[in-house]
Amino acid sequence: MTDKAYDEDDEIRRLDFAAWFKLGRFALPHRAALAGLMSAGLVLAISESLLPMITARIVDDALSDSGGDKLVLLGSLYAGLVLFNAILIWFFINAGGIAATGIANNVRRALFDHLQTLSFSFYDKNPVGWLMARVTSDTSRMASIIPWFLLDMVWGTAFVLMISVMMLVIHWQLALLVMMTIPVLVQLTRIFQKKLLLSQRGVRRVNSQITAKFNENITGVNTSKALVREAQNLQEFQRLSGAMFQYAVRNKLQASVYLPLMLAIGSVGVAITLWYGGINVGTQLTLGELIAFMQYAALFYIPIQEMSSTFTQFQSAQASAERIQGLLETVPEIRDDQQGQLEALSGPIKTIEFKHVDFYYNPAEKVLTDFNLKVEAGESIALVGATGSGKSTLVNLLARFYEPRSGTILINDRDYRYYPLLDLQSRLGMVLQSPHLFSGSILENIRYGNLDASDDEVRAAARKVQADEFINDMADGYQTLIGEGGSRLSSGQKQLVSLARAVLADPDIFILDEATSSIDTQSERLIQEGIEQVLRGRISFIVAHRLSTIRAASRILVIDKGRIVEQGDHDTLMAVGGRYASLYKNQFVKHEAMQFERKA
Amino acid sequence: MNANYQLIWQITRGQRLRYLSAMLALITASVFLYLVPLMPELAIDGLIGEEPDRASAISRWLIEQAGGRDFLNQHFWLVVLAMILLAAIAGVFTYLRGRWTAIASEQIVWRVRNDLFDQLMHLPTHYFDKAETGDLVQRCTSDVDTLRLFLADHVTEIGRAIVMLIAPLPLMFSMDWRMTLMSLLLIPPLVLFSFFYFRGVQRYFKLADEAEGRMTSVVQENLSGIRVVRAFTRQGFETDKFGQASDAYRRLDFHLYKLMANYWSVSDFLCLAQVSLVIIAGGYWLANGTLQVGTFYFFLSAVNLFIWPLRMLGRILTQLGKATVAIGRLEHILGHPRESEQVQETELPPFKGDLRFQDVSFSHHGDNPALETVSFDIPAGQTLALLGPSGSGKSTIVNLLLRFYDPDSGKITIDGQDVVALGRKPVRKQISVVMQDPFLFAKSLKENIRLALPDADDNAIKEVAMTACVHRTIESFEHGYETEVGERGITLSGGQRQRVALARALLEQPAVLILDDAFSAVDTETEKLILEALKARHGMHTTIVIAHRLSSLMHADKIVVLDKGRIIQQGSHQELVAVNGMYRDLWRLQTDHESESNQGAGSNDR
Repeated sequence: MTDKAYDEDDEIRRLDFAAWFKLGRFALPHRAALAGLMSAGLVLAISESLLPMITARIVDDALSDSGGDKLVLLGSLYAGLVLFNAILIWFFINAGGIAATGIANNVRRALFDHLQTLSFSFYDKNPVGWLMARVTSDTSRMASIIPWFLLDMVWGTAFVLMISVMMLVIHWQLALLVMMTIPVLVQLTRIFQKKLLLSQRGVRRVNSQITAKFNENITGVNTSKALVREAQNLQEFQRLSGAMFQYAVRNKLQASVYLPLMLAIGSVGVAITLWYGGINVGTQLTLGELIAFMQYAALFYIPIQEMSSTFTQFQSAQASAERIQGLLETVPEIRDDQQGQLEALSGPIKTIEFKHVDFYYNPAEKVLTDFNLKVEAGESIALVGATGSGKSTLVNLLARFYEPRSGTILINDRDYRYYPLLDLQSRLGMVLQSPHLFSGSILENIRYGNLDASDDEVRAAARKVQADEFINDMADGYQTLIGEGGSRLSSGQKQLVSLARAVLADPDIFILDEATSSIDTQSERLIQEGIEQVLRGRISFIVAHRLSTIRAASRILVIDKGRIVEQGDHDTLMAVGGRYASLYKNQFVKHEAMQFERKA
Repeated sequence: MNANYQLIWQITRGQRLRYLSAMLALITASVFLYLVPLMPELAIDGLIGEEPDRASAISRWLIEQAGGRDFLNQHFWLVVLAMILLAAIAGVFTYLRGRWTAIASEQIVWRVRNDLFDQLMHLPTHYFDKAETGDLVQRCTSDVDTLRLFLADHVTEIGRAIVMLIAPLPLMFSMDWRMTLMSLLLIPPLVLFSFFYFRGVQRYFKLADEAEGRMTSVVQENLSGIRVVRAFTRQGFETDKFGQASDAYRRLDFHLYKLMANYWSVSDFLCLAQVSLVIIAGGYWLANGTLQVGTFYFFLSAVNLFIWPLRMLGRILTQLGKATVAIGRLEHILGHPRESEQVQETELPPFKGDLRFQDVSFSHHGDNPALETVSFDIPAGQTLALLGPSGSGKSTIVNLLLRFYDPDSGKITIDGQDVVALGRKPVRKQISVVMQDPFLFAKSLKENIRLALPDADDNAIKEVAMTACVHRTIESFEHGYETEVGERGITLSGGQRQRVALARALLEQPAVLILDDAFSAVDTETEKLILEALKARHGMHTTIVIAHRLSSLMHADKIVVLDKGRIIQQGSHQELVAVNGMYRDLWRLQTDHESESNQGAGSNDR
């Protein structure tokens, strides 16, 4: 959901071009289109403002003694200008389209690229929905307003000026009289645009609350029923829908006052013209000129209204521009050392060492305290401990998704911060409890582990983890589309696919975080053999509840409150009768019980 | 389709008079709007011109009424004032039109929203089994919005376009039929063009939407799978993938701009060409003396008034289908029968809590039976434990008891009365349930605990929170019980949510308390404390416990072991460990772990 995006929606700010100018580089490649657009706007304003003048000439010519002998010429001129205007309109929408979609595309891609570099601590603080709103709605709103803002400012200003010039040319005293309506129009427009924006924002805010309310109450419908909350829930909802009614009606009423008011003021201008011109026609101006004048007077409000509405949209898009710029300026917390002490990580990873590592997500709660651990190639380490004891954090630090707050992690005896980030991460194979799969086929998902793998290699990896069988059972085999997030697979099947993916990556370090928790016991035993074979000679970290998985590890670490409290193999630890033994009793057996199957 | 238009007609009930008034206001406003340019005609042809007899009939009549040509020529300002007044009156009626349609349409939508919400609260559970939340939410929001646009904007736009065209026709024909025909010449091609063009390009809008959707889902998958992306260092691959999706969207989006460029340029051309026709033809007839200048001006103004709304007509007509589709989708929710209720829902006196299942069978939509002839009973105040692998029917028992579903056969009784005869709400009121993954609302913790009893006082809340061992956790939050849960507040861990839900359930002081794997995420020590506290309340309610940890179940008065929807064992812990069966196997597994562990890896996985 992008609910949050509505909250921060179009705050009205003082116009500040800073963010716009910084984003200007994305518009630079489209400067030709923008220049063409603005020129078209300028020419259109001139051409449009000529039309009433031609009408005046047609009328005066028809009424003159010559009896309309210039009608063909003037009529063709008028029709020609109309055609010309249509072409200009076609041209500037195309130019605006190139610029709007092009700028949006550039900004989107830049944002996406940048997001690929930001650290996990950033992702912890910013929900996916919020970030998506930056890449999608903010970007298109910001980009699509730019060309129309430029166009309307050029066209509107030029149009107002041209109308004024035309009127001044015909009869300057009358022109000045009619132009007195301009400040009134401008002022009214400003007031109403602001009111409209405010009530529009109210509508949007309540609308997002209503969406959230529907979402919440549909998801929790059984809870509501069980608590017999239906009536109260409806009452709460009615408060929102009532607020929605009020905002929506207010917004519409404001709009229904504004337009007639503008028209009425426009007609005042026309009326002034009629009054003054009516008295002085024939002496100071011709009938044709009077008609042209009345048309001009009625036209004034159009560019003013257009400019003002675009301007308001531009102002409210400023918040989008600022958020985008802010995101682009976010510096990744973890990145390759800029001082250039980098050295490529070559050769296999032989040792990993945690030295006095402290870590916390927020300073009040330490997750790891003075953590020390050394692991050699070929070892498989099972991590055991209560939820929140720091197992996953350990894994995250190892993958350098986070870095230690103090202490160091050494790989092949060198601080891992001195290796390029990508070098380390390309050596990892991770399988998580609820693995993330991408929409697409099973084949593509497994191949994610190694983009260069042939179909046969993909199949071989799947066979190693016993995924081959279920995949072949599916209608389209490896080509089966698995839906968004792999929704068409069971969680056990997802784990198998993600295991195969990690196996295909052929990493130096394997991280299995509850990787087989959803796989039934019988299949799990088969997979276990495959996994053991894969893990041979590499370093592996295994977080698991399943006894067989833990037992197969060469070393078990019992972690409590960020420290290792016991370590050794299964039998040793059971013999000690300490924390492991009690965890074993309370946690693992419970896990087994959940999995227990009918006895034959 | 027709049926759907009828549905739309039906939902306008109660507001039709307002719509009618709006329509009348629209007509009035249009008439006055055309009287405005009549004033210059009157002035130019009837007062200033040299042939006042050739002014339009209505102007001549008006001049006469106002006191004659000479009088008006001396009081020219009267005409000008009349013009401003007419514009103002037109403005007032335009405002009224806007006001009444706004109120009418928003009232309708308000009611539809409330009806939808109420309906959703009362649909049977099997409706939600088949529906997707996202789809339902979309119906309640964007389909409602489509309907709103139709009722508020489209109907009035169409009405306006038509009225604006028809209203001046009598006046126009009475003034000059040739000019009238000239003014209407390009209207058919204009309307037809915009209608067929929009119908033709509709699919490109859909294509662009789909491309945008694909692009969005690439971002979404990337961001939610950022760990996988990093772990396999696939940033480059992802960037390429997104780049392609973004480019593809851009192409289609730009294609829309091109289509719009064609549309606007052609339709603007047709509109402006219509205006030029009037000017050129008018110029011709002016020159040969068969047309008056004021009449010329009037036609010029009139054509400008009615041509621009017509430009949108064809476009809006293509949108009408959407409203009928939307109302059809809403009717799918609104027309679905609610949870059946044979009995009047009256408040019942408090239950004692004698529960009895008699040969209860149930299957979901005719699938494999979820329960088959299940019978057991629990005397009031006692505790029953349900044990069995997932899919064995434990949760179905809970669902039947809460009457989310009703048994296919057999009977469930509370205090000897068939629950089906008692009514859903009264039964649910006396049963509280804590689920494994409890649902909390986006409210404060306090509000969440007192969901069922909104009037509960702080002490009562604190007391149940203490029983549920969540009081101290809550106090440790900065805002204590006022802490908001959910997106705007804090995210609770699974164990914390379970404990809050327990407090919520206890506050009701239910006759029957159901704990459906309710402590699975609570750590062992806390669970022990909670069980102790609950033990102190023993006898206060009949309790049904579902759990996997035998230590949580063994003290129950009765244990029912389920498998594949059948009861395979029932009895007390002592009785069950004494006999050969699933319970004893499990018991051994969980207690004899040490001896078992020494036997090696072979047999311990069960």
